[in-house]
Amino acid sequence: MAVVTLDKLSKQYGPTGPVVVDKVDLHIGDGEFMVLLGPSGCGKSTTLRMIAGLEEISSGRLSIGDRVVNQVPAKDRDIAMVFQSYALYPHMSVADNLAFGLRRRNFAAAEIERRVQDAANILGLTPLLARKPSALSGGQRQRVALGRAMVREPMVFLFDEPLSNLDAALRVNTRSEIIKQHKRLGSTMIYVTHDQVEAMTMGTRICVMNAGRVAQIGAPLDVYWEPADTFVARFLGSPPMNLATAVVTSANEGSVARSQSLETALTRWSPQLLGKLVDQKVTIGVRAEDLHINKAALGSEPAGHVRGRTIAVEPLGAETLLLVEIEPGVEWTARLPRHVPVAIDETVDLYFPANAVFVFDAATGRAVIGEKRRDIRQ
Amino acid sequence: MAAMLAERAPLPRFFSRGALALVLGLYTIYTLGPFLWLATMSVRTTAEISADHYAWPKVFHWEQFRIAWVDSDFATYFWNSTIVVVGAVAVVTLLGAAAAHALARYRFRGNRLVYGILFSSIIFPPQITLISLYQILVDYNLYNSLLGLTLVYVSLQLPLTVYLLEGFFARIPQDLFDAAKIDGYGDLEIFRRIVLPIGMPAIATTLILNFIQLWNEFLFAVVLITDPDKRTLPVGIRAFMGDHFQDIGMIATGVMISVIPVIIVYIFFSEKLIRGMTAGAIK
Repeated sequence: MAVVTLDKLSKQYGPTGPVVVDKVDLHIGDGEFMVLLGPSGCGKSTTLRMIAGLEEISSGRLSIGDRVVNQVPAKDRDIAMVFQSYALYPHMSVADNLAFGLRRRNFAAAEIERRVQDAANILGLTPLLARKPSALSGGQRQRVALGRAMVREPMVFLFDEPLSNLDAALRVNTRSEIIKQHKRLGSTMIYVTHDQVEAMTMGTRICVMNAGRVAQIGAPLDVYWEPADTFVARFLGSPPMNLATAVVTSANEGSVARSQSLETALTRWSPQLLGKLVDQKVTIGVRAEDLHINKAALGSEPAGHVRGRTIAVEPLGAETLLLVEIEPGVEWTARLPRHVPVAIDETVDLYFPANAVFVFDAATGRAVIGEKRRDIRQ
Repeated sequence: MAAMLAERAPLPRFFSRGALALVLGLYTIYTLGPFLWLATMSVRTTAEISADHYAWPKVFHWEQFRIAWVDSDFATYFWNSTIVVVGAVAVVTLLGAAAAHALARYRFRGNRLVYGILFSSIIFPPQITLISLYQILVDYNLYNSLLGLTLVYVSLQLPLTVYLLEGFFARIPQDLFDAAKIDGYGDLEIFRRIVLPIGMPAIATTLILNFIQLWNEFLFAVVLITDPDKRTLPVGIRAFMGDHFQDIGMIATGVMISVIPVIIVYIFFSEKLIRGMTAGAIK
C-alpha cells in the first residue's frame, strides 16, 4: 500500500533560520493523485523534496507505506521523481537514461531491456532510444524523464513542476499523458505545481499551501467552491475572486451585507450564525464569472449587486473582462460575454445570484461556512 | 536607395573578410615560422646552421634523431619526462577533480576558506616555494628522485586545476545529482558516472594545460634532479649548451623530439579542449 503520511512535517534552515515548511499534516491515499499547489516560496517543493529524501526533515514524521522513512536515504524509499529541468544525464543515450536506475538495482539485463522497451513503446520513445538528450525537443525530454520514473515501477511518483519548461500546447499534451499514465499504473502520485489549471485538471485532491502551511486540502471543485480563506479564494480562479469589505446588517427580510458600493442578501447562512455577525465587518467575495451586467442573464432575481466605474474593457475573443473600480483602490473584474455595451469611465451595476456570495471573516480571512454550495450553474 | 545599399553591401564584406584572412595568415606565419625554422634546423648539422642560419637543408640529416635518441640519452630523458609528467598529470587530474567536486557541491564549514587558500596560491610565483620544497624533499629522502619531482609537480598544478574545474562543476545542475541519488547511486559513484563524464571538456582542458606546462618545466627539474640518468627532457636539452659551444643542431633535434608528445596529446584532446573553453558561451 503506497500510502504517504506527513505528520507535522517541518523544515527549518538552521536553528535560527526561516521555517519554510511548518507542521504540514497530509494523508495521501493509495493510488491517489495529490497536487501540492501554491505560489513560489510557499514550501511545496521543499515538502516534495523531503518526501523524496533530498532534503533533511527538521521535525515531524514521514511514512511511506507502513514504515517511517525520516532516516531512510532517497534510494531506499521506493520513489521516483520527475524534475522541472528533466534532469536527464546529458552524456547518456535515451536508453541508458531509462536503464540507469535499474542497473544500479542489479536487475537482469533481459528485465532491464523489457522495461525500457515497454516504457519506450508506451511513451512513443522507441525511435529515440539511441539519441542523446541534446538531440531531443523539450516534450521528448519530458517524456524520457517520465519514462525513467516509470521503468522503476516505484510505490510513489513525485513530480516537481514537470511542465513548467514546456510551451502551452505541449503542456496540454503532456498533462494528458501523465493523467493517462496515472490511470494505467494506478500508482500514488504527488505533483507540485503553481499552475491552478494543472491542479484542477489533474488532481484527485489538491493541497493548497501558503507560507509553509497547508491552507486547504480537498477535491479540486470542492476547494474552488468552498475556499477555506481569502488566500485560497484568490489563488484558485482566474481572474482571482473579487473581494470587498462590508458590514452585516439585519433587515426584516433577512441579513444583508452592505458597503458604499455593494449590497447583497446573505441566504446561505443560518440566522443564528448571521446573528453573531450583525454590525460586524466581513469580507464579501464573488467570482468574476458570477458577475452579470444584464440582470436578465441571471434567470432569477439577483441576490446582490455592486456599483463601480469602468476602468478597462479587455476583449479576449470568446469573452470580455470588465475591470471596475468599486471603491478607491478596490477593483473588481467581471467575466462577461463577448459584447459588452459599456465605455471606459462609465458607472455600471454588476449583479450576482445568492449562490455566488462568499463570506469571510474580515480579521482572519477564514471563510464563514454556510450551507453546502450547490453547483452554481444548476 | 535600399537597392543601392544592397548592391554595395558585398564589397565591404569582401574587404572585412579579406582583412580577417590577412590577419589570420600573418598570425599563422608569425607562430608557425619559428617552428618550421626549428624543424629545418633539426635535420641540419651545427656546422651547416652556423654557415647559414636560415637555409633550407641541402641534405636531410635524419640520423640526428637516432644520435639524439640513442647516443645522447634522449631516450632516458624522454621516459623520465613521461613517467614524471604522466604520473603528475594523472594525480593532479584525479585529485583536482575530486577536490573541485567537493568544493562545488558540498556545503561544509570552511569550504570557501579552503577555496580561498587554493586560489591565493595561484597568485604567488611558484619560484618562492623552491627553497622550502628543496628542503622538504631532502628531509624525506625524495631529493634527486623522480617520485619527489612528481610530487612537486602535483603540488604546483593542483591549485589551478581545482580552480578551473570548480568553476565548471559548479554549473552542473543540482537536479542531476538528485536524480542520480534517487536512482540509487552513492556519492563516489555519482562522481565517477556523472561528474567525470559531464566534466570531461573541462578535465581535458586542464589535462592539456598541465601536460604542456609540466612537459616544458625546467626550473624545478634542474634544481631538484642532479643525477644525469634522472634528467627530464628540458634539462637534457640544456646539456647540449656548453659555456663555449652550443650544439644548435642537436638542441633543435631534441626540442623536436620533445614537442611530439605535446602535439599527440593536443590532437587527442583538442576537440574537448575547445568545448571546455567555450562551455557556457552558447546554449
